[in-house]
Amino acid sequence: MTVTQAVFFLLAAFTLGAALLVVLATNIVHCAIALVFTFFGVAALYVLLDAEFLAAVQVLLYVGGITILLLFAIMLTSRISARGVKIMNEQAGISALVVFAILALMVFANLKGFVLAAAPLPASYATASLGRLLLTTYVLPFEVVSILLLAAMVGAIILAKREREKD
Amino acid sequence: MIPPETEIIERTQETMEEMYVNMGPQHPSTHGVLRLMLKLDGEMVTEVVPYIGYLHRCHEKIGENRTYIQIIPYTDRLDYLASMYNNFGYVLAVERLMGLQVPERAEYMRVILAELQRIASHLIWMGTFGMDLGNFTIFMYCFREREKILDLFESVSGQRLNYAFYRFGGMPMDFPPTFLTDCKAFLEWFKPRLPEYDAIMTDNIIFQKRVQGLGKLDQKTAIDYAISGPMLRASGVKWDLRRDDPYSIYDRFEFDIPVGAAGDVWDRYMVRRLEMAESVKIVEQALRDLPPGEIMGKVPKKLKPPAGDIYSRVESPRGELGFYIVSDGSEKPYRYKVRSPAFVNLSVLPVIGPGHLIADMVAILGSIDIVLGEVDR
Amino acid sequence: MEKALERFYSVFAAWGVPPFVPQLIVMLMVVSVVILFISVSVMFMIWWERKISAHIQVRYGPMRVGGWHGWAQSIADGIKLLLKEDIIPAGADKLVFALAPMVVFAAALAAYVIIPFGPNLIVRDLNIGVLFYISISSLTVVGIIMAGWSSNNKYSVLGALRSAAQAVSYEVPLVVSVLGVIMTVGSLSMIQIVEAQKRIWFVIPQFFGFLIYLTAAIAECNRLPFDIPEAESELVAGFHVEYSGMRFAIFFLAEYANMFTVSAIATALFLGGWHGPLLPPWLWFLIKTYFIIFVMMWLRWTLARLRVDQLMNLGWKVLLPLAFLNMGITGLVLVIHG
Repeated sequence: MTVTQAVFFLLAAFTLGAALLVVLATNIVHCAIALVFTFFGVAALYVLLDAEFLAAVQVLLYVGGITILLLFAIMLTSRISARGVKIMNEQAGISALVVFAILALMVFANLKGFVLAAAPLPASYATASLGRLLLTTYVLPFEVVSILLLAAMVGAIILAKREREKD
Repeated sequence: MIPPETEIIERTQETMEEMYVNMGPQHPSTHGVLRLMLKLDGEMVTEVVPYIGYLHRCHEKIGENRTYIQIIPYTDRLDYLASMYNNFGYVLAVERLMGLQVPERAEYMRVILAELQRIASHLIWMGTFGMDLGNFTIFMYCFREREKILDLFESVSGQRLNYAFYRFGGMPMDFPPTFLTDCKAFLEWFKPRLPEYDAIMTDNIIFQKRVQGLGKLDQKTAIDYAISGPMLRASGVKWDLRRDDPYSIYDRFEFDIPVGAAGDVWDRYMVRRLEMAESVKIVEQALRDLPPGEIMGKVPKKLKPPAGDIYSRVESPRGELGFYIVSDGSEKPYRYKVRSPAFVNLSVLPVIGPGHLIADMVAILGSIDIVLGEVDR
Repeated sequence: MEKALERFYSVFAAWGVPPFVPQLIVMLMVVSVVILFISVSVMFMIWWERKISAHIQVRYGPMRVGGWHGWAQSIADGIKLLLKEDIIPAGADKLVFALAPMVVFAAALAAYVIIPFGPNLIVRDLNIGVLFYISISSLTVVGIIMAGWSSNNKYSVLGALRSAAQAVSYEVPLVVSVLGVIMTVGSLSMIQIVEAQKRIWFVIPQFFGFLIYLTAAIAECNRLPFDIPEAESELVAGFHVEYSGMRFAIFFLAEYANMFTVSAIATALFLGGWHGPLLPPWLWFLIKTYFIIFVMMWLRWTLARLRVDQLMNLGWKVLLPLAFLNMGITGLVLVIHG
């Protein structure tokens, strides 16, 4: 067991623990904060895989953007003393079935092995190569995603503006 | 209408969308023990109700049980930031009631001290106003100048804040021999300070953007609500009791009356800032023309004004300070009423407050320049 | 530095200890040095701020504690804060309440990994250097929201959300203003960015980028003129109103540590890092960083506060378009020059 493996297991346990807190905690703000730690754990796992750029972007976007928006939404729409949310509902049986099916599929895919689509990039050029790829080979999906984000922003502004004009 | 207390407290605990917010009575920016109840819609204030009375000390009732001269120290504590002017107004009222003559030197002394007091009061106002908006430095600078004025007052009357220095018929003591040189030195020190304040506050675009267009009070509303002082002048009404209903010897001095145009917080700030320069002019002229002579006129030993009533008013730094005295011929007044400018000016807050954000309430309240001692008496 | 490390590792290898043990020891030593530096630096900055504010306001500031100009004032204040009663408001969420200052401080501390004090004086020269700082600074916002919410105080929550909105809004012009420098250098690594300023400091070609960065950095640190979330004289109190004693001290420490970090990054990105004649490189770096901190403090004690909507206006409608313009012109010039 090398140090890297030990660190990996520690980080994986931390991430899984936080993820379990997200679904099992009763206080919804606790769930959101546990989500922050989950994302952080995932970013740390990216670092172990030598994908530093992806780790930084994961923290920047998920922790710094999505969870903050989530926290805003929770705090502005619920009461101060957020009462507990129900953890299980009547669809527990079917969802357990679906989850185990997906788990079986993932184990099978892992054991079968992945076919490498492209050669792994040398670590020191990862960020630059990523940039070059985004703007040459994958420029079309990149631009499509940008337009999607622009549409989302415009929609949000129009919705918020309409509420403002209402008062 | 703001509903009764119990209903407000029940409702505010429910949702995040605040409906009622309470400012004070303990609050760094209400300039005393004032309580404001704000009704909010999101960040916008829709209703403001001031609750006063936290500093009520039964001033007028006490006045009914004191002889005329015993009331003078009580008047200091009305507008405690401009005590000389309270003394001035009260003493003038009784002198008019009794028909007393005041010698020339005493008149000039009164004007010098009163205008120095106006400068000191406006300095405190400017310092605290700047501090409310986040500019801590102007507070220190203004208080440094005010300390010099307080030193002058201490050399004259022995007191720094509540002087009780005016008497019916004149002044109790003459200026100390060093006063003239000290006062001239202070004016020479003070005149280049005003451009310094401009550099920090008036010309600063952050400050301008914070206060321009806020709390607009138009001429008609100002006159309807009996607003007076710099607030009235900022709304475009050129009315100053020193010019339009002159008392003492104010008609002998040359000074301008700064008038604003829009009646917003910026205009009120500019009017007070320019008034400080005008007061400097008046003090200089009075120092130049100060005649030698007596300081106390003929005053009977036992003060029993003839039966009758009188309303006498002066232009204090906050506005029209009026004293209404009803005498029944005895040595204590039958009825003694103070028309305090801050009380009347505060009454317009529910009109100019709504329609602004919460953060602007502090600026608007500051621009009215209230002193709770005067509002509550 | 490299040779000393080699010898250190070989000592442990000679005893048959696995290599991660000396690596761990070195890591712990580096972390201790960084924390020590932060503590001393923050104490100095607090004392310095009081002195600067005092002299701007025509007074003296601390003069007595410790003798010469009250240099021990910060230490005395620190001890006082340590001795205060630890109050947790009734109804507050104890775990989150205790965790919030730690998150904020951890974010402030983690950013020191990429600060280049000298040619070999950097904890780790990550090749995503600047991006690392940008992503860590967004963790501060999470800590602020946690602090505001867990205080069980309506005004705290509003203050925290307002502060978070301000921080998030000003992150965007911060990042875009830095992009001009990154494009010129072609790398995100801090050492390479500083090395590229041998001939000319980037403040000259990227002057507007520098100004935008400085404004956005002051807003990120919640300093006047952008300190409406912390303003006591406004109506809604800040997010740390319920914190007292050591917990408050940690927030305070984190704010000053943040100030140092943004100034250090401004120095490295725009003011030429450690380049300068005569003096040792790390001294130049510290001088330049403290100069920017001095400018920040100077602005705090001179200007008034911006209102919330004016603040947002400035960030989105003025700084962001200017930053994009700067980036566009830089790109154009780079393409033309090949």
